[in-house]
Amino acid sequence: MTLLKVDNLKVHFPIRGGFFRRVVDHVKAVDGVSFELQQGETYGLVGESGSGKSTTGKAVVKLNDVTSGQILFEGRDLAGLSRKEIKPFRKDIQMIFQDPYSSLNPKKRVLDIIAEPLRNFERLSPAEEKKIVQDFLDKVGLSPESILKYPHEFSGGQRQRIGIARSLTLKPKLIIADEPVSALDVSVQAQVLNFLQDLQTEFNLTYLFVGHDLGVIRHMCDRMGVMYRGRLVEEGKSDEIYENPQHIYTKRLIAAIPDLEPEVRGEKVKLRKKLTAEYESSYSKFFDEDGRAYDLKPISPTHRVALH
Amino acid sequence: MEMKVETRKNVQVQDVSPSGMKIIWQEIKRDKLAMGSLITLAAILIFVYGASFFMDAKEIAKVDFLSIYLEPSSDYWLGTDYGGRDVFGQLIVGTRNSFTISLFITLFTAIIGLTLGLLAGYFGGATDNVIMRVIDFVIALPQLMFIVVVVTIVPVFNVYVFILIMTMFLWTGKARLIRSKALSERELDYIHASQTLGTPHWKIILFQLLPNVSSLIIVNFILNLAGNIGLESSLTFLGFGLPESSPSLGTLISYARNPDVLENKWWIWVPASLMILVLMLSINFVGQALKRAADARQRRG
Repeated sequence: MTLLKVDNLKVHFPIRGGFFRRVVDHVKAVDGVSFELQQGETYGLVGESGSGKSTTGKAVVKLNDVTSGQILFEGRDLAGLSRKEIKPFRKDIQMIFQDPYSSLNPKKRVLDIIAEPLRNFERLSPAEEKKIVQDFLDKVGLSPESILKYPHEFSGGQRQRIGIARSLTLKPKLIIADEPVSALDVSVQAQVLNFLQDLQTEFNLTYLFVGHDLGVIRHMCDRMGVMYRGRLVEEGKSDEIYENPQHIYTKRLIAAIPDLEPEVRGEKVKLRKKLTAEYESSYSKFFDEDGRAYDLKPISPTHRVALH
Repeated sequence: MEMKVETRKNVQVQDVSPSGMKIIWQEIKRDKLAMGSLITLAAILIFVYGASFFMDAKEIAKVDFLSIYLEPSSDYWLGTDYGGRDVFGQLIVGTRNSFTISLFITLFTAIIGLTLGLLAGYFGGATDNVIMRVIDFVIALPQLMFIVVVVTIVPVFNVYVFILIMTMFLWTGKARLIRSKALSERELDYIHASQTLGTPHWKIILFQLLPNVSSLIIVNFILNLAGNIGLESSLTFLGFGLPESSPSLGTLISYARNPDVLENKWWIWVPASLMILVLMLSINFVGQALKRAADARQRRG
């Protein structure tokens, strides 16, 4: 069952300049992106900084205005809805933020932070509310006694788990995870990722997982899309993309993953050099004269690549 | 055995984070200077407001040519001024007037500045633009000339008119200060998080944004409160301050414009100057403690 379908999504930000601050140009942060999420799967969006992956995620929760295109959630288009009309959907689509330090209000106690969505959507007595919050704290592996603490009393990993607990309280169907582990150190990353997977099976969640760490994405995602300059350049099952990348950008991205074994370093360097040569020689095969990637074309039932 | 009990107790205290008022109180209790200042301030204010309740303002403002420039004595505790008026009585009523003026100007400017600053900062864009242009306009007005004109044309110039006219001009600084803080706060993810959690704008502004600018407001409020006490003295100096029938600390100090008073009749201006100094300092010290209480990282306890 298709839960979320993003169709030709565009998010353009105006560049103002000149005497009257007229709109002189647009930054095409997201420029015609389409993908689908099935119920219960994890879809990864990867790309370098500034490729528009976070903007895409934020557009789905309406933190960015959508310039054009459709965001179909269970068949209803969210793109054109006003703030009021979107409110019922807020319950079903939640977001986990990248920075666990700025995403929790430093002046609020953990209880108030996690109960905020509950207070917006449900009428609960303080005792019921406290019980739910404590249940979720327990679920994310924090002591239920810590409800009266402030965020600064926790470590980064713990804070991220508070953020996750907050996004779970309304039992959403879709969670946008915007680089949820990139601010954490590696040992904590693994912990939080595994824990996100456990929650997925427990609550039957669908994740839109935004990230730049290819290892993390491979570990987490069933399917993934590679973004470059606001366009998807390749999309398919994670294994297909890792084993058999077709687009030159994807190839270079995967070749750029550092290898721990010193013996293969020489080979890697050679591979990268070869790819650079290929990039230079066959640039027009992958990008048009404006440097824009072509539209995606299927090369197998599950694998689509932006080729001419 | 005893050690163990101690640690357990400590842990329990830490488990429950104390409420806002409790934190402020603890902070002031830990800072001896702030505690002393708070007591001094409270004592002065209670005495001044209490005493002026029993005093006849008209009696104090009455000119008595037989007792001009008397030195401090048992009849006149702080001597008399050039109109034979009791300086001590004027000091009491003056302190009350000056503090009331300061408190209300600070309060009103804070309310206006906070509302507009938060709105401009949170919504940004067109809202911000409109509010900032209004502020620019108010700042561009020749403030002193306006005040002089208003003072001249109002039939009765008293404390209330003074508060109103000063509020009209002084809210802009606060609005700008709070806007700038709100602008930087709204870009933080906790505001975005609240938006994705379906919290309405007014709730985000009041319950998410406001607590995070509160330390700024408290400090600014206190510093302003201290600063506004001496506000009317400069106007009095120009001859556009409050009339002598409603004495203020500024009136008393401005008597020192006369070189003879400055040199030989210290009892007229020194007490008022000291009063301003003590009030400003103690308000400032309390403000510092509040500032630390508002910021969890600066707290002493």
